[in-house]
Amino acid sequence: MLKSKTFVKKTRSGGVMKVVREHYLRDDIWCGSEACTECKQESTVLQTDACIESSLCSYPHYLIPDTNVVLHQIDVLEDAVIRNVIILQTVLQEVRHRSAPVYKRLKDIIHEKEKHFYTFTNEHHRETFIEREPGETANDRNDRAIRVAAKWYSQHLKTSESDTDGLKVVLLTNDQGNKQKAEESGLLVYKFEEYIKSLTANPELVDHLALSNDNKNEITSSKVLFPEHLPLSRIQAGIKSGSFVQGTFRASRDNYLEATVFIQGEGEDSTEILIQGLQNLNRAVHQDVVAVQLLPRSQWVAPSSVVLQDEGAAKDDNVEEEEEEKALRISAAEAARKATGKVVGIIKRNWRPFCGMLNVSQIKESTRHLFTPADRRIPRIRIETRQATTLAGQRIMVSIDGWPKDSRYPNGHFVRSLGGAGEKDTEQEVLLLEHDVPHQAFSQAVLSFLPKMPWAITPEDMVRREDLRHLTVCSVDPPGCTDIDDALHCRELENGNLEVGVHIADVSHFIRPGNALDKEAANRGTTVYLCGKRIDMVPELLSSNLCSLRSNVERLAFSCIWEMNHEAEILKTRFTKSVINSKASLTYAEAQMRIDDTNKNDDITKSLRGLNKLAKILKRQRIEKGALTLSSLEVRFHMDSETHDPIDLQTKELMETNSMVEEFMLLANISVAQKIYDEFQECALLRKHPAPPPSNYDILLKAAKSKDVAIHTDTAKALADSLDGAKVDGFPYFNTLLRILATRCMMQAVYFCSGMDNDFHHYGLASPIYTHFTSPIRRYADIIAHRLLAVAIGADSTYPDLMDKHKQSALCNNLNYRHKMAQYAQRASVAFHTQLFFKSRGILNEEGFVLFVRKNAIIVLIPKFGLEGTVFFDSKDKVTPSIVFDEEGPALTVEQHTFRIFDKVKVTISLDASNIQHQKIRMALTDPVIPGVSVPVPDAEPQAKKPKLDR
Amino acid sequence: MATVQVSEAEKVYILHGIRDDLRVDGRGCEDYRHMEIETDVVSNTDGSAKVTLGHTAVLVGIKAEIGKPRPLVPNEGYLEFFVDCSANATPEFEGRGGEELGTELSNTLYKVFNNKHSVDLKSLCICPGEHCWVLYVDVLLLQCDGNLYDAISVAIKAALFNTKIPRVHISTDEEGGKEIELSDDPYDCMRLNVENVPCIVTLCKVGHRHVVDATLQEKACSVASLIISVTHKGTVTCTRKVGGGSLDPESIFEMTEAGKRVGKALHAPLMKVLQQEEHLGKKKQKVGFLG
Repeated sequence: MLKSKTFVKKTRSGGVMKVVREHYLRDDIWCGSEACTECKQESTVLQTDACIESSLCSYPHYLIPDTNVVLHQIDVLEDAVIRNVIILQTVLQEVRHRSAPVYKRLKDIIHEKEKHFYTFTNEHHRETFIEREPGETANDRNDRAIRVAAKWYSQHLKTSESDTDGLKVVLLTNDQGNKQKAEESGLLVYKFEEYIKSLTANPELVDHLALSNDNKNEITSSKVLFPEHLPLSRIQAGIKSGSFVQGTFRASRDNYLEATVFIQGEGEDSTEILIQGLQNLNRAVHQDVVAVQLLPRSQWVAPSSVVLQDEGAAKDDNVEEEEEEKALRISAAEAARKATGKVVGIIKRNWRPFCGMLNVSQIKESTRHLFTPADRRIPRIRIETRQATTLAGQRIMVSIDGWPKDSRYPNGHFVRSLGGAGEKDTEQEVLLLEHDVPHQAFSQAVLSFLPKMPWAITPEDMVRREDLRHLTVCSVDPPGCTDIDDALHCRELENGNLEVGVHIADVSHFIRPGNALDKEAANRGTTVYLCGKRIDMVPELLSSNLCSLRSNVERLAFSCIWEMNHEAEILKTRFTKSVINSKASLTYAEAQMRIDDTNKNDDITKSLRGLNKLAKILKRQRIEKGALTLSSLEVRFHMDSETHDPIDLQTKELMETNSMVEEFMLLANISVAQKIYDEFQECALLRKHPAPPPSNYDILLKAAKSKDVAIHTDTAKALADSLDGAKVDGFPYFNTLLRILATRCMMQAVYFCSGMDNDFHHYGLASPIYTHFTSPIRRYADIIAHRLLAVAIGADSTYPDLMDKHKQSALCNNLNYRHKMAQYAQRASVAFHTQLFFKSRGILNEEGFVLFVRKNAIIVLIPKFGLEGTVFFDSKDKVTPSIVFDEEGPALTVEQHTFRIFDKVKVTISLDASNIQHQKIRMALTDPVIPGVSVPVPDAEPQAKKPKLDR
Repeated sequence: MATVQVSEAEKVYILHGIRDDLRVDGRGCEDYRHMEIETDVVSNTDGSAKVTLGHTAVLVGIKAEIGKPRPLVPNEGYLEFFVDCSANATPEFEGRGGEELGTELSNTLYKVFNNKHSVDLKSLCICPGEHCWVLYVDVLLLQCDGNLYDAISVAIKAALFNTKIPRVHISTDEEGGKEIELSDDPYDCMRLNVENVPCIVTLCKVGHRHVVDATLQEKACSVASLIISVTHKGTVTCTRKVGGGSLDPESIFEMTEAGKRVGKALHAPLMKVLQQEEHLGKKKQKVGFLG
């Protein structure tokens, strides 16, 4: 039977279009119930004994939730207790339309066999399809469709078999009107809360319930705290007319009353608007897409450098805040003021489940508690739970349900517990979740694309490959590295020139475009290295075995071979797919020893010496061109082999061999970048590092000036030279500090598609073109570079997405995002391990340098641990000393002492575990001594432990 | 236009018959052939009608789109006509064969329908000077068996009657920016008043008399015909002479009078039929193109 569905829609150009869809009804859609004998179904999903222990429904029953129940209560539906649910097509479609993440979760549940969720395509069923009637809204129609389907089910199950003792369907809805109508037509219907509360055997489910609007009144005072959000239609009109702007809301990490809204402009000209104060922030949450109205110029403010954290008990009276807000409005110099605005509406919420911890309410019986997310940019969330005592001290996940205008905090509900706070596994899970790092085990679909073991090189593999097994190739990597993606060789040719080869694991041979393995890798984007843990981009079989260029096994490689003279000038460049057999896997230290050991004269050592010699020349040339050597302190933990707890940490030291490998990797990357760009002008995947805008250097210049050192930032070369020349007598660490500061001035290097941009320059490396080619095991960008290069040399075939610059640009965005998040996750992991380290150390007294000066704090760097921490000078529980902040210096005068950048200070370092919410490293000043601010020097007792640890 | 070959003897036969008010198919001079009307036949238009008159069949579809009003009449919408002479109708239309006829027909339709007396063009205005509804009237000739004008005009009137224009309203924000908002209820739509929409009556001068609704054979015997558009009140809104022959003033007068009479008589049953069909609503049995 044919019906047609007609609806009218507005086109983008403002026209109106009538759309007609054919809609076919069928009579062979089965009910999916095991108890049914009428339907000719092959397999059933819904069980006969559909028992959930409920005080409301003592009989076996199927549940039919309506759309709003699914949308808001998906967390409950996901629970293993809830089984035998009929998801109507109407509901599924509406959910899909309203929320993509919920839709995905719902689909996942449906696919799970244990859950017995059945999708009933009621919209195509002859007896349950209904047409919209005149005067009926779309929602009413859908509600009616749900009721009609529920009715059909209850009758169908009744007629199908007489002896099924009362198998019934229960409609779950939160809509009063819908419920009433359903009752009128004789359906079993309950409110969702009602039903869940009736599940006597599983009281914990109640915690998962999202707070709905009806019980909102109890939670908050009726006082309206926030201005109303504008409806979407007015926002759109406002954006069109230019009175509002649309942007992404970015809450400040340091100050909960401040945020910026990032407005994506054409190409480079993106702008930021400052938002200050609770009212102006107007319930926007980090990462939301919001509409902002600019305030008149007279109300513009400067970003405050105050560090403010939302602490203390739940406060619904905002007296305290007004004071805090006042603190923000320190009259700022006219120049420092920035475009300031207020949020008038939310275009798209970007809420995800947040990790964090519960602040248990002081009132013992209270079921409402505040939840503090781990991410400081997310406001605290009010949740309702009865297991507060169990959850206290655990890391939990919470979803936001809504933020009414009369509530100081958003309302949310408990999703799941991750484990005890401070436990390593829990914390690792938290930081992976918080940084959106995909870390689940690889799915079967992905693993199915792995090569079958035992794997060997076949003659077909050799067709387009060069046999380089005879070459003396070796790899040099950090100790313990199992994913070796590069190997090198160097040999003298008959004509006296040198042949240098960089051999990169041929990952693109194993990962074919478009399959599940490729998609998964593209999504993960990069391997994430945490302390003591690696989250692979590709399954381990590839990363640690088949692709890894281990010694004395035959491996497929992609080789880049140069012929060079002894002055490291490239005479010839050649790319080829190859087979190699690495002769040795060395660590940096081993390689260094071989080079230095004059007694050794084997092929590997000779090859290494040749490489080292060339690398030195290459490095010199690069630096002459203006490449920057920047500095950031990287620390390594010495892990206890059994407990995996850090027992010592040291800053990573660099050897000559590190830079030897690096030089050749850079050279290979540049050569490949040039080649793929020459071949594919429009769709080469390249990497650029934009020159920072001059204003970025302000802090560096000010800092250097305070020590009477001049820094030139006009070009990368000038910067590099002046950094080299920057020395202060009696302060050997000054240069390193300066380089650390310079690093902070830099922009992020990003991947991009050559067809979408015209600035290719890599500022840091002083190279006109650059890409990533040398680490395909751990970076997806390299796989694309491999594919492009393979096509360019005719070793592989192309595919449409590779040549589509828009698709590639989208891919680059994901890669950039994943890289950034991986970096953050890495830092967070280091920070966490630092905390673990200090936990076992007690209080330490260390020497450090002032790195930045803020309005109410100084940031101190401890070179020994590569650790940065903040020393606050004002705190709520103490009398604030007199603080004078000089922005030009920048300098901060506390009582009599003035702090400037690079000042040497002594601080105590301890783990502040008093606040379990955020365990953090606390620093307190010991030298210089400022009465009322600094603390006494602790006993040197912890040092006594040291010999024991140095075993 | 589609033509048939008629021999001299046949011509005489037809001529003599008409002289005696008895036509080949048994009709009188002012009688129409059997006419069938069905509205709402094309679902992706906003209004449509299919009319068969004898073997002549035309399909009219109306699409409403938002456009900009003409600068001279900022508060009125307008109609656009396009006549597609499908090669289905007659092989002569193949390629570009039907183009000339199509243009001729649509030009006449502009004259007859696109004025504020026929259709309430003001009701098509959404926002003066900025937005108005433009009704695209697409006529498709399915089969030609004479008297295209009358069949097309009846079909257009029926299609206009059937037209449902989605209701829109203009929302204004504080800055004066205007936004068109669409009702999300597909039943919420505007209907046109078709009371004054004229019908075309074509009178063919055959010998000394004139006939309405001429068949192709009769047409072949005629030298000239007069197209008269008549409203339900009998007001003549447009006349046009087609064909190579000449008409004397006296017969023009006679033909006009006859046209008024016939036109008036045509409107009443047409409206009745349309309203009847409308009342059936969803219960209407669809005939479509295979019926």
